[in-house]
Amino acid sequence: MKDIARQKMSISVETMDLLNQQITLEAHASASYLAMASWCDQNAFTNSASFFYKQSEEEREHMMKIFQFINDCGGNAISPSVSNINHEFSSLEDIFESALDQEIMVTKSIHNIVKECKNNNDYNGENFLQWFVVEQLEEEKTLRDILDLFELMGRDGIALKLIDERIKTE
Amino acid sequence: MVLLSKSKYYSLYQSDQEKCYFIDFGNKTVKASFCQLLALRQKVNAINITNHFYSSENKHGIEILTLCNKEHLFVLNTSETLDLQALIKDSFISLGLSTASKKTVPL
Ligand SMILES: [Fe+2]
Ligand SMILES: [Fe+2]
Repeated sequence: MKDIARQKMSISVETMDLLNQQITLEAHASASYLAMASWCDQNAFTNSASFFYKQSEEEREHMMKIFQFINDCGGNAISPSVSNINHEFSSLEDIFESALDQEIMVTKSIHNIVKECKNNNDYNGENFLQWFVVEQLEEEKTLRDILDLFELMGRDGIALKLIDERIKTE
Repeated sequence: MVLLSKSKYYSLYQSDQEKCYFIDFGNKTVKASFCQLLALRQKVNAINITNHFYSSENKHGIEILTLCNKEHLFVLNTSETLDLQALIKDSFISLGLSTASKKTVPL
């Protein structure tokens, strides 16, 4: 019997399923950041708004990276549907905290897929995900640094304005 | 043609000459490429079988399945749906693309 399936596809279907779930997660993160950008825009936190617009774009790039990887491996990447985007935040700090929580969730999910790849000797999948492991560490750090500013500078009107001015937009 | 897996109602064969698969649905045999087989797997796995039992959403327990870019249409009841899910799971183990350890129905 010819190994037609293996000629067509170079990752396991289980890895593909997990990566398709990750696509949905990245798409959700992208949409979520857009909602955060909107809130910041409306509340005149201009730099924070730019920051989240950029984050939103980056999450879409993450999504596309995984999308193309699945298809390059001969799998079937599935275009995600996104729902349940939160638009309500009580403060600027609340937004950055939600952003960090979201990143932590994404990190956990990436780590879980790496673990599954390791268990199943899926070297392609594991190798591909290394980039995401590093990326998640950086993203968490960026948000943690911003949250430190609230501890440092306080939470009243002028402090918030100063914090916003310190948010890097590029 | 090589038999890859067999469930209660269905069987899956591979044809080396044509580089494709044949799914025997009992009343009809459908030819499928690897990509179409993969798409079928995702469709079948996306079915929420609990809706057949605990929900008013699908109280008749009927699934309508289109195959091979809507070339074929099947209507399956609950036990046929479960059987097709088992066939697909076993098939990908036979194909060497699944890390699932146990086949549902031994060949
Ligand atoms: Fe991401
Ligand atoms: Fe991120």
